Amino acid sequence: MAWLDRELGNDEMVELERHIGACSECRSRLESYKQASATFDAYGHAVLSAKTQQKRLPRWVPVLTTAAAAAITATLVLVLLRARVEPPALPPPAQVQVQAPPPAMVLENVPAPTPAPSKTMHRPWATTPGTPRRTANWQPTERAIQISIPAESMFPPGAVPQGVNFLADLSIAADGSAEQIRLRPRMMEVPRRQP
Amino acid sequence: MSGDSLPLALPLSRLATGACEVTDLYRELREPLLRYLVCLGLSRDEAQDVVQDAFLSLHRHLASGRSQENIRGWVFRVAHNQARNRQGSYHRRFGEPLDLEIDARLDETTPERVVLEKEKLRRLGGAITLLSESERECLLLRAGGLRYREISEVLGMATSTVGDTIERAIRKLAEKCNV
Repeated sequence: MAWLDRELGNDEMVELERHIGACSECRSRLESYKQASATFDAYGHAVLSAKTQQKRLPRWVPVLTTAAAAAITATLVLVLLRARVEPPALPPPAQVQVQAPPPAMVLENVPAPTPAPSKTMHRPWATTPGTPRRTANWQPTERAIQISIPAESMFPPGAVPQGVNFLADLSIAADGSAEQIRLRPRMMEVPRRQP
Repeated sequence: MSGDSLPLALPLSRLATGACEVTDLYRELREPLLRYLVCLGLSRDEAQDVVQDAFLSLHRHLASGRSQENIRGWVFRVAHNQARNRQGSYHRRFGEPLDLEIDARLDETTPERVVLEKEKLRRLGGAITLLSESERECLLLRAGGLRYREISEVLGMATSTVGDTIERAIRKLAEKCNV
């Protein structure tokens, strides 16, 4: 080995080289030493590279991370969509004082007039905890003001059969303006003609 | 003046020369040192730490104007001692299976060649575990490019003993591996 590693003196190197050239047994032994030495060096390189490989992440780690991120994103999207479908919690009911508009026409079937000039009413969007939530097609369940309108005041004479009048359901907004009006025909009692 | 600071008599030219020498030596010895330390059983991170510490010590050694003989052996000795301090039983980890690494290194050769190389390295790994600690260390330092004299300084043994140990170790590997 010392001859292989050039660790001998010049004289010894020359002498051994001459011997190896003549001795086949020494040549074969030298060849096996060379191979063992080279394999050992390769093993050292392999160990260093193996330690480097161990430091890297396994191949399945990025795949698993991407799948987890996708699952979290999908869950968040579903939660947000569900939150958008349901309306947020409404504020507690509040009482407002609104000024009733002065009736321009004859009032019928209106509850007994109160002495106060203002009318107490519920906000249409205000709900109690037990009541169902407001939807887009919400209609007020209680009529705020009913106004009876004679047909002659809206149509020319003869356009509407006799005895037919109109009833207007008027709901008033919080600021006192008319929020909704619904017109319904209504049959009135007609005095029979005496034969 | 504190004890850690450089002596006032140290010329700047010598300091610059020392830094240049350290840089050149670092380029030359970094890879063999890493390989040696990792083969001793340290992790790659630990080995890198040891290499950095060893070259820091070398810089201080040269800057303080101490002996510049056998610098390669000096660096290996410092790294060897630090590795011993870090890992008391590192030698037992040398010879672990290396299937993953072998796949990575031999992927450009033929499958038959890959199988043969794998088998050869596997047998060598088994044979290495039969070597004594000094035989293993001598072979590792020799594979790192050190001369017998440098190895003797690192391991603290006679140069002739190093030659005998290396020859004995190589003979064992050649017999066990039948290569």
